[in-house]
Amino acid sequence: MVGTRTEPRFAGTAVSGARIQHFASMVRDPNPSYWDVDFARSAWGGLVAPPALLIGLLMPPPWVPNGQPPTASIAVRVPLPGTAIINASNDAEFLLPVVEGDMLSVVEEVGSVSPEKKTRVGTGHFIETLETYYRGDGAVVARCTNSLFRFSPAGDR
Amino acid sequence: MTWDEVTVQAQLPEVADRISYERVVMNAGTTWDYVPWHFDPEYAKEHGHPTIFVNTMHLAGFIDRIATDFGGPYSRVVRRKVSLLGSIYAGDSMVARGRVTGKRVDASGDAPRYLVDLEISIFNQRDELCCPAEVTLELRG
Repeated sequence: MVGTRTEPRFAGTAVSGARIQHFASMVRDPNPSYWDVDFARSAWGGLVAPPALLIGLLMPPPWVPNGQPPTASIAVRVPLPGTAIINASNDAEFLLPVVEGDMLSVVEEVGSVSPEKKTRVGTGHFIETLETYYRGDGAVVARCTNSLFRFSPAGDR
Repeated sequence: MTWDEVTVQAQLPEVADRISYERVVMNAGTTWDYVPWHFDPEYAKEHGHPTIFVNTMHLAGFIDRIATDFGGPYSRVVRRKVSLLGSIYAGDSMVARGRVTGKRVDASGDAPRYLVDLEISIFNQRDELCCPAEVTLELRG
């Protein structure tokens, strides 16, 4: 699957002020770009989605009414035995601010898969993915390289 | 804060944030990241962790908070690189320390971008390095 690019995966809804402020509340970030509609509109064109929330804005909800779980990240779909994942590193470039009302999508690509490694948490593979995030008008808002460890936990027998 | 006012090698104020169980569960809820070790202490313990821990988005959000607290509301994180070396568990504190490592003007685009490079590291309350980060902040010139 290395080099495979996915079809765009779309967020189910537009970026909402509720999710922006729930995340900012969790982080305890008083940045008015997340809280003050008038300030954010004049500075950025609307309430800003915290850059750190970007991946979360493309997460599928854990349950959907048709019983078909929405497509997960490509790193979870690489045919490997590991059942658990943990992040190792993330390098993200944020080209444009994402604001309330934006419709987002992501295209993912598997950059590399490591040979099997034994770590303190278990045995598995490091999977590097390249993600490009788009706004509804086609503009690229962010590019991201993520490395995660997909493994069979030492406690699973 | 404007770009002209930034001094290279300036230290950022240390910030500590205690992470309760509520915050870790809130972390899963706000990011829709329901990997079990972000909400299920039994699962976390069965897999070698003392309890549930925060995800990368929470760590990144804390790092961005430190960066834009420094740069002010007109600043914007334009790049962030994080490495996950250790976990912040429920009951731990996240302690951020940072400094300015450089400032530059990027003239490659239509308009110049006034950039500041920061090094921000998150430690736990035992002073163990959990998440070093490099951040580039765009400021008004």
